[in-house]
Amino acid sequence: MKTRLILITLLYLFGMHSTHAQTMNWKTLGESKHIVNVGFGWDHSLSYNVGYVYQIKSKLPLILNANFSIPSGDNLVDDFKTKIGGQLVVLNNEKLKGSVSLHGIFRRYENPLVRLVNFGSEMKGVFGYYKTNYFVAGEFGFDKAIVTHFKHSELFKDNVYAEVTDGWYQPSTGGNFNYGIQTGYSFSRYDLTLNIGKVVTQDFKTTPLIPFYFMLGFNYKLK
Amino acid sequence: MNLKILTITAMTCVLSMSCENEQYINKSGNLVPKTVEEDPNLPSVVVNGTVLHAEAHGNSVNPMVVFLHGGPGSDYRNGLNAKQLAESGYYVVFYDQRGTGLSKRHPKESYSIQLYLDDLAAVIQYYRTSANQKVFLFGHSWGAMLTAAYINAYPDRIDGAIFAEAGGFNKQLLDEYGETSRRLKLLAETTSDVFYYDQFLTGREKDHEILDYKMALASSFSYAKGNEEGVETASPFWRNGAVVLRAFVDISENDGFDFTTNLNQYATQTLFLYGENNKSYGLKFAQKEAAFFSNTEIVQIDDTGHEMIHSKWNLVYPVVVDYLNKLN
Repeated sequence: MKTRLILITLLYLFGMHSTHAQTMNWKTLGESKHIVNVGFGWDHSLSYNVGYVYQIKSKLPLILNANFSIPSGDNLVDDFKTKIGGQLVVLNNEKLKGSVSLHGIFRRYENPLVRLVNFGSEMKGVFGYYKTNYFVAGEFGFDKAIVTHFKHSELFKDNVYAEVTDGWYQPSTGGNFNYGIQTGYSFSRYDLTLNIGKVVTQDFKTTPLIPFYFMLGFNYKLK
Repeated sequence: MNLKILTITAMTCVLSMSCENEQYINKSGNLVPKTVEEDPNLPSVVVNGTVLHAEAHGNSVNPMVVFLHGGPGSDYRNGLNAKQLAESGYYVVFYDQRGTGLSKRHPKESYSIQLYLDDLAAVIQYYRTSANQKVFLFGHSWGAMLTAAYINAYPDRIDGAIFAEAGGFNKQLLDEYGETSRRLKLLAETTSDVFYYDQFLTGREKDHEILDYKMALASSFSYAKGNEEGVETASPFWRNGAVVLRAFVDISENDGFDFTTNLNQYATQTLFLYGENNKSYGLKFAQKEAAFFSNTEIVQIDDTGHEMIHSKWNLVYPVVVDYLNKLN
């Protein structure tokens, strides 16, 4: 209980809410304490990610996880996203399960014109049907950009806007809703997972340039 | 427990630091310059129910050359080299088209091709000092498409036209040009540069400041290394018009367009320019577009690409002046 309170407090301080959280087959989680995962897919760019999951002993399944992802490109470290947070199963029937996840995000973007650093948050709810060798569930999430730092290059100042104001920008610089399905196949100590869905911006009227996401993942339960 | 306290303290500091200087992304002047509506010091004209950022150079009684910038949704800053035509005896007029550059923004539903033609007619009328003053159009990219649209609608109003790599006089040609010039490579850095910030920079359809800024960031795609259009380096602009771009993309996709139906009625010689290094355009595409006219001259501008007016004006200028002087 104390652990859960600390987690919730931490998540609240991050101002967290979540989207592409760790995709798990809750039915096969069992006593596994350490899980690693890798994945790739389209998440506002063709991206690759690695993650680590730690299961906390509690009455309901509860995991903490950290994730690091980078998009494709020549410069591998100019853009990235890190997430840290947790997921809690709040509905834990034999086959029907529902979970909520909260994650804090730190991400960076750079192109020849600007460097952006953002603190954001993700919240996600998942409800679905779980068996020992497969699962299928619906997911709905919200990714909120809380505060963003802008640092423009000389190229931007020379060719676009010399008086641009650098610094931290808030209130929020944006947000996206995500909804779709997640499914997976489990065998031995492994899960193969797939998330696929649509993205709309927070006004529900506009979309990103590519309004879809998909993520193929692979989980390995260490012990 | 110390680690937990440290984490909480660090996050609290980050959040409180960020609160010290509250800056709004959707406020003009922060990330994008103010428009003529917000800055009365900018040169402007009030025409056809809008306010356009505009300026003119040279003697106002001289033959008029109206420069039409690219886009839709760019501005005339990268065409300012054409001011030099004033030294050769021309009255050179620049304006940012409705909804882009530093001109006034309007709702997306209000834009149409006809409205843009009416704006152009109104600008010509505003600056024209006599009924017999000759008027030439000098269009770059989308501006050259707009030039064709104007001549197609009003074949008897214009005394000559220069087309610098029009992106397609009809939907079919636009698609053909777009397929090669804007091809995205999935694994390339330029692709991430265009899409990745969508996750934390979003704006509603009326949030012009945010949408225009995002479009500015995407401009790095146009001059990325190895780009098909042979663009050497960043060319300057003030502010993009994201909403007007979306409006015209929708018009193109939903209604299509054809600016060629009357072009064969235009007997005056026209000038087509293309950059040697633009792999998407070239002589073949110039010939396709020129074929809609009965009397044309096609000139290659060496060692440059789509941004020839900015990058190789020293080569463009004599060709343009020769052409104008022949018709003057």
